[in-house]
Amino acid sequence: MPRRQRLAHWIAHLAHILPAQAPIRDFVHHNTLHGFQHLPFPEALAAAHRLNGAATYWPESRFRECYASGRISRDDLLAAIAEAGLSELDQPVFHNLLQADVLLASLLAGDDIPGKNRLDWLMRESNLADEPVFAICRQLTAANRRTLPAPTGPDWRQTAPARWASLCQRVGKDWTLRSLLEHLSGEDVLERARRILQRQLAAHLDLGVAAWRNPARSRGFFAAWRASAELDMYWELDELPDVRDEIIHLPTDPLDVLHDELTRLLPDESLWQGYLECLSLELAGWSGMFLWRDRNPTHGDGTPVAMLDYLTVRVLLERLLCHDLMSRLCGAPMDADELGAYFAARPAEFFVRDALRRQGLPEALQNQATSLLHAAHATNEDDWAQLATAIADDLTENEAAARSWRLAGLSRELGLTANDLATVSHEQMIAFLDCATRLNTSQRGQIWLLAYERHYRQQLFTALTANHSRQARTPSPSAQVVFCMDDREEGTRRHLEEIAPSVTTFGAAGFFGVATYWQGLDDHEKTALCPIVVQPQHIVREQPTVAGATAFKHHTAHRQKRLRWRERLYQSTRRHAVGGPLLSTLAGGPALAALLAATVAPGWFGETTRRWRRNYDGEVPTQLVLTAESPAAATTESPQAGFTNDEQVDRVEAFLRSIGLTNDFAPLVLLLGHGSGSENNPHLSAYDCGACSGRHGGPNARIFAAMANRQPVRAALARRGLSIPPTTWFIAAEHNTGDDGIEWYDLQQIPQHWQAALDTLLGQLSEACRGHAAERCRRFASAPPQLSPWQARQHVIGRANDISQPRPELGHATNAAAFIGRRQMSRGLFLDRRVFLISYDPSSDESGNILEKILLAAGPVGAGIALEYYFSSVDNERFGCGSKITHNITGLFGVMEGVDSDLRTGLPWQMVEIHEPMRLLVVVEQTPEILTAIIVRQPPLQELINNAWIILAAKDPSTAAIEQYCPQRGWLPWSGDSVLPQVGRSADWFTGEREALAPALLLGAAR
Amino acid sequence: MTAVITALLPLLTQLADWVWLVPALPLLVAFIIGSRILLGHAGGDAAEPLTANLAALASLAGLLLLLAIDGTALWRGMPGHRQLGVWFASGNWQATVSVQLDGLALSVATLTALIGWLVVRFSTNYLHREAGFHRFIMLLCLFLAGIQLVLLAGNSLLAFVGWEMCGIASFLLIGYAWQRPIATGNALFAFVTNRGGDAGFLLALGFVAAWLGSFEWPALAAANPLSVADARLIALAFVLAALAKSAQLPFTPWITRALEGPTPSSAIFYGAVMVHAGAYLLLRLEPLLLQAPDVMLALVAMGSLTALYAWLCGLVQTDVKSALIFATIFQVALIFVEIGLGWTTLATAHLCLHAAWRTWQFLLAPSWLVVTRQRPAPPPAWLARNQLIYTAAQQHFWLDKLGQTLLVEPTEAFARDLRNLEEKFIDPAIGEPGHGQPIDVERPLILVDGLPGRLLAAAASVLQLLEDRLLLRSRGSAPERLLRRLGRYLQTLEYLLEQPRYLMMAVMATFVVIL
Repeated sequence: MPRRQRLAHWIAHLAHILPAQAPIRDFVHHNTLHGFQHLPFPEALAAAHRLNGAATYWPESRFRECYASGRISRDDLLAAIAEAGLSELDQPVFHNLLQADVLLASLLAGDDIPGKNRLDWLMRESNLADEPVFAICRQLTAANRRTLPAPTGPDWRQTAPARWASLCQRVGKDWTLRSLLEHLSGEDVLERARRILQRQLAAHLDLGVAAWRNPARSRGFFAAWRASAELDMYWELDELPDVRDEIIHLPTDPLDVLHDELTRLLPDESLWQGYLECLSLELAGWSGMFLWRDRNPTHGDGTPVAMLDYLTVRVLLERLLCHDLMSRLCGAPMDADELGAYFAARPAEFFVRDALRRQGLPEALQNQATSLLHAAHATNEDDWAQLATAIADDLTENEAAARSWRLAGLSRELGLTANDLATVSHEQMIAFLDCATRLNTSQRGQIWLLAYERHYRQQLFTALTANHSRQARTPSPSAQVVFCMDDREEGTRRHLEEIAPSVTTFGAAGFFGVATYWQGLDDHEKTALCPIVVQPQHIVREQPTVAGATAFKHHTAHRQKRLRWRERLYQSTRRHAVGGPLLSTLAGGPALAALLAATVAPGWFGETTRRWRRNYDGEVPTQLVLTAESPAAATTESPQAGFTNDEQVDRVEAFLRSIGLTNDFAPLVLLLGHGSGSENNPHLSAYDCGACSGRHGGPNARIFAAMANRQPVRAALARRGLSIPPTTWFIAAEHNTGDDGIEWYDLQQIPQHWQAALDTLLGQLSEACRGHAAERCRRFASAPPQLSPWQARQHVIGRANDISQPRPELGHATNAAAFIGRRQMSRGLFLDRRVFLISYDPSSDESGNILEKILLAAGPVGAGIALEYYFSSVDNERFGCGSKITHNITGLFGVMEGVDSDLRTGLPWQMVEIHEPMRLLVVVEQTPEILTAIIVRQPPLQELINNAWIILAAKDPSTAAIEQYCPQRGWLPWSGDSVLPQVGRSADWFTGEREALAPALLLGAAR
Repeated sequence: MTAVITALLPLLTQLADWVWLVPALPLLVAFIIGSRILLGHAGGDAAEPLTANLAALASLAGLLLLLAIDGTALWRGMPGHRQLGVWFASGNWQATVSVQLDGLALSVATLTALIGWLVVRFSTNYLHREAGFHRFIMLLCLFLAGIQLVLLAGNSLLAFVGWEMCGIASFLLIGYAWQRPIATGNALFAFVTNRGGDAGFLLALGFVAAWLGSFEWPALAAANPLSVADARLIALAFVLAALAKSAQLPFTPWITRALEGPTPSSAIFYGAVMVHAGAYLLLRLEPLLLQAPDVMLALVAMGSLTALYAWLCGLVQTDVKSALIFATIFQVALIFVEIGLGWTTLATAHLCLHAAWRTWQFLLAPSWLVVTRQRPAPPPAWLARNQLIYTAAQQHFWLDKLGQTLLVEPTEAFARDLRNLEEKFIDPAIGEPGHGQPIDVERPLILVDGLPGRLLAAAASVLQLLEDRLLLRSRGSAPERLLRRLGRYLQTLEYLLEQPRYLMMAVMATFVVIL
């Protein structure tokens, strides 16, 4: 393959492993490990762990806490061990101990093994030494030290060369030369590389912070970087004097440079792809953003962004800095192969360096090793050898200590007494320990996760079974409310149903089947309001009504003036030499007053400024440009303005049939989109509607309601067998999940006939929001316990408007499962805002076509949310973006920590702090046969379900039977009890509780 | 009504004497929080409110007290310079605890107290459940105490104490995320470069002590006996301190690397309050500066140069906090120019208003995506095309790297050398436990390491020799009788000493010797 093509192929492959996060304004949840989705879940996690060293499961200590608090039971663990697909579980180890028992004990005993020094300390400070079991364990392991194969071996002369060879092998697979050198020397050239690169990268990608850009940027990143680097004095200051010459004499084509540099770095061409992957992953945030801009050229500001440029500079710096370090390390310039030979000839030095970097050395040895390393050139081979022997002896002792500790821990868990242990032979003990250590960290994590998921799954299945007999249809409902499927809306729905038993609720992906571009009255540009995978072909604009034309003029003039001044205030005070000081002195007093008000009464201040803004801008009555006369050839770039009648009918019909609302229409049908409002929050859009690409879903609701109210649409619907009676009116609103407020649309257009019903619904919904606010407040540590609904609502208003609040709301932090089926299945259950609820009527979908569409739309959205939360929770440093408090907005496309760090992607720690990481459990109210047929038809679902990225279960539409899908063994019927705690209302169950709650039956939510 | 006022009147006039509470309360709170951390009482959600409330209360109390003093000052005139006590004295000069309550001090101190209180409130929410929550609030209190000491102090010695407290708090907060090597490296950088300014301050203190015999600000202001040369030297030394604290050239790099801490600390330290401390010091020294016009000229030059530097660097910044910090330095540089031109009232007003605006802007730095819509206007085309100046601005004119090479690395090398000295020479000389070697093959039980060990071993040998000679070999001889008599005397002495009166005398004698 030609070089250029081959490289293009490699770059395309990088998209699988780098973070795919778009610029932060468009934060959309997605599976962090999307590139590994073709692998089964456990294997994908193990692969990711190998590649970047990230933890892919919760730490075992957290799981053990759950075990201690009853969130994982012994049965769960045993079932998980059985489920993990291990062999020989029922083989005896000795006496009547089975392997499964030993594994269980090893999971419970933990993997925190103290070294020799700590063990000595424990024996001195606690009564460990007096414990008979421990004493005999020490005897057993001490006596057998010689017969046991020690992993490091007493003779480092044999192990060190092999270990060195294995480390060298890793370069190009999961290591770069930098990693190898860091392991040897403790010096990380990545720090230097990042310092050199980071400012240039940010300057090249910048979307609007810097006033002054690199003059050479239009020629691409490589040329721009080079133009600066040739003039940079940094090289001389950093003792890299020849580098400037090298840069000046580089070829102009980055591809040539890349090829040359890779050759000098790593002669073996077959390793280049792997090497580039590892190298990109070292600054994953920056690499990912560069790649994203490379792949989405229209989303930038016109500056050419090519991944090739980035990789070239990155490889060039790697080569320059690594060669510099190697020559300092070994005293002479050399390449990677010579380095291999150098340390192969110095096994003692390598052994000491290796042991130091693997940590766990006692302090005295560590000090000796460090001082030898500092004076490495002056150290002769004997000194190294002497220290190496001392370290090897220490490692052997450590191993013996670890064995005795492990053995004692296992014996305690298994209830073995000193007498039992006394009868154990050497071979049996070796087999015993081998069995206990046969699982690696990933496998242990997997078993814990399976047990953890199983515990919650049992609770949910029990709840569904218990609720089955209580199902009933609401006869002529007073109103029907369609919510987003969002887990947060589960709470709102439940409270609404408790308050108004005559109201029925539905759930659907929050774009309500209307995939469109939207341009609101004040919007500069169109935004796509639909799932990220959909490319809309239509655009709906909001326009002033005829009567509102003059008001609109006034509004635009005032609004533009206001925004211009704001822009001037924030930008000039940092950019202008004359205007800056003037403006900032003028603004000083008001700013202090605003800060005082925002601190003392954030809610009041937020609402007041909003009111002032509205009064100043003036309100404009608006309407939607909804209907297109005739279909036009539309593309994503030039979408068709509005929908034709037929298109409207299609969308309304498909949506209503999908949620199963085809008859028994109530007088009012409310479509309730959602979005989130918060202050001072760069991750704002991560709290918004995931089905609307991280935007507010209100406009979609408004468009849908307007369509469904149109006479031609209704007539056409009736012809298709879906008759909406004239007594039914569709209305739309948007729920702010931050302050639990509701913004209503087009209320003035509602005919008088429905006014009374509307007033009732308004009141009921407000009350539901207040109840929901109280339920949310129980998870906020700063909210006083046991707030009344009114107080709770005031608290969330204050919180959403508080500039000092990094947790305006908790987002999807509680998500864990999804139900696809009729609301009757779950109505009357307390689900703790943990379940995505998607309405679907199995009785009118014998072919499964509707379900297929729902699964295709909701499956990836739900899995994306759940998995992004999962990975950001289990390793917030690598998969998430750390704590918000040191975040610094960079180039308007991302955040860094401080002023010099990798670009941080994923979710901040404040969003996932209370999250319980588990895979999404999807329960579908449909028969296994239909579901199997759908999975067979749909490759995207096969990937998600057969690779166990989500867990699928089927609840029979007519009976209480539940079957769980196992990718290996097919459908497995579930059996369990159906007894659940019963309470009057939600508040009775959650009041006073701060932690996650198990499901309960609500008696008050009668229908 | 009038009765109440007349009753309160003496109280109000005495209010100024209580101003020491303004720095003392946050300091006390810092100590309380510190001891809670040490005693292990600072963990979990439940421990947060007490820490937060104490800090908020202390800063609010300071604010209210200052407001009350402001009120009386407006009504009955400035309290002026007040001596609250004597710290220590020697001969004809003394270090006092005094405060200077004039318009400058009261206005800036009140503003600082207000910003301090708001930032404490902000941080309480912002840092909720952070591992360093208590540490952060403690350091914030320490800083508030320090900065109020600088602002209110009536003499330069007390101001220096506050100056150092601010420096320490700043150093520790840059290293707030101590797990990140970049953060600790930058903290070290800021610490080392700031010592340059401290050297200036100490030098000034030395000059003042030598030539004036008093650290009080008024004495410095009315320094008639001073020659122009002396005044110039003192002013220059203070200016050096001010340049470092306010991050003017050539000290600017430390502040650009100081933005590693949480957002509220960036706001109060580098955006709003501490960065102005240098300018405040110069305002305080205005009478002295007037005696040295050439120093004022130097101030104008330094300020202009810094302004140009900060403006150029600010243009190329791509992250919000860096962009804001260069904007801040730019305006602080202008304040220096204003002071150099003698426009002190303008400078004071500029300082206060600028601090207020930057607090707001820094605290709202995470909102940048929302508050701005478009890229700021580019610089003039002739500048925009210049690749060399662009590169220089992007690299902060390499001052950063120079500072590292000239200041930090030599310091680190010196520390390494000291460590080597200790390991190679001092430790072996003193000896370490567990490293002993037998010195005498006949007595393998005696293990010795280091000089004192060898001395002790030698002394032991001599004594053993003595014992051999005196006691074992010559039983009943003259030396033995002598020793017995000595023993009896000593027994008597011991008996006497056990009597309380003699014990007391012995204790007192010890004291006399010590004193």
